[in-house]
Amino acid sequence: MARELRIAVDHDLCMGNGQCVFLAPEVFRHNANRQSEVIDPAGAPEEGVLKAAGFCPTGAISVSDAQTGELLFP
Amino acid sequence: MATLAADPEDLFAPEVIADPYAYFGRLRETDPMHWNPRAEMWIVTRYEDLVWLVRHHELFSSAVIKTDRRPPHPPIDAEDGPLFDRVKEFRSDQLVEHDRPGHLSMRSAVHGYFTPQAMEGWRPFVRAAVAELLDEAAPHGRMDVLEALAAPLPVRVITQMMGVPEEDREHLRHLADRLLYINRGEPNRMKLLMEGIEGMIDYVSPKVDERAATPSDDFISVLASAEKESVFTRHQVLVNTALLLFAGHETTMNLICNGTLALIRHPDQWERLRADPAGAARTATEECLRYDPPVKSTQRIAAQDVERHGKTIRQGDRIRWIMAAANRDPRAFDDPDRFDIRRKPNPHVSFGAGIHYCLGASLARIEGQEVFRALAERFESLRLETEELEYAPSIQFRSLTALPVAWS
Repeated sequence: MARELRIAVDHDLCMGNGQCVFLAPEVFRHNANRQSEVIDPAGAPEEGVLKAAGFCPTGAISVSDAQTGELLFP
Repeated sequence: MATLAADPEDLFAPEVIADPYAYFGRLRETDPMHWNPRAEMWIVTRYEDLVWLVRHHELFSSAVIKTDRRPPHPPIDAEDGPLFDRVKEFRSDQLVEHDRPGHLSMRSAVHGYFTPQAMEGWRPFVRAAVAELLDEAAPHGRMDVLEALAAPLPVRVITQMMGVPEEDREHLRHLADRLLYINRGEPNRMKLLMEGIEGMIDYVSPKVDERAATPSDDFISVLASAEKESVFTRHQVLVNTALLLFAGHETTMNLICNGTLALIRHPDQWERLRADPAGAARTATEECLRYDPPVKSTQRIAAQDVERHGKTIRQGDRIRWIMAAANRDPRAFDDPDRFDIRRKPNPHVSFGAGIHYCLGASLARIEGQEVFRALAERFESLRLETEELEYAPSIQFRSLTALPVAWS
């Protein structure tokens, strides 16, 4: 059973580049302001979520283990 | 002798080049969606409008070169028409001149190379290069920041990324200088630009052949492998290698010069940076980017009719959005004309926004951070050796022509 993730998007940093929405469309979408928001933290395998977070050019996405709070990215 | 009254719509007027903040700041407060009849383009200056525009890439096309049917502005030498067509052919193959879906596959091919984490791997190289350049300058007690630091640093980094030999640095710098004429005002700029374009293609072609046969971990190999996967044509590989050289060169130069100048002109902020160079370098670099951005403005073409502020932008209209004005918008930033190296949050738009957000942003940040940190660690104070600073007559770039400083 995959562990549960907590994914946060910092809207002070998100510039709407959309890499996360492209790479993990089940997890991220753009809001009306074209900034990224999380729709389903379990929408993609952990590996895919981490890749999407890593591809954010502004480092706006952080990922942690929802149970332990351990920071997985950055 | 009577002098002609200055044309308030002249975007290349000396006072607009010298102080874009006053000119575009006025527009931002009085006519945020302004039609400039002389340049035949819309001028967008408010933060909120700019962010909206840039994030709606389906409304505003980046294929400016291909789509724009108006003649070049400012005018070019009449006999250079054929040159202009060749420049168009070259530039329209640039990644930045594409819309979705083509842009997405092209960007995806290179995006992974430039992620914040991947670029962190370059920090030691950048730090060492900065130290080396400052070691060379230190005994003289003075330097032109542009010549001694801001121009050579990005060329060193980019040549390393391209995996080309050190002795080619000067040649590549010369080509990059020629490529800079892209958005300048000089009527003869097409000849100079073409020299850069042809020089780049001649230089890069054999290297691409080499990397296609024997891939390595450099950036040319990344592009060459995208050619194998049919994401890029060969011409696009060549053009985008040139784009990387050009884009990383001018912009980094401006970040370093404009940031250093801001720090010199705000001694209280310089002292704050000196108190903790390693700790303050990140926010200081963001503030340098916001306060006096390397790129003042960028252009789009309306892909359809769009209403904004009660005005209708027609399909095919040119739109130029002014980051230099949006970054000083009081609706988005507290006390926007104040230079504050600890400003937070600082959602400046100096790297743009949306799908075309600057590919090299992470690298530029690292270069800025390492330079400002090193300057603050090394020098107690820097002083300007002249108050007669000049900026290149560009509508796009905020480029000092020299920045002579001294220290004791």
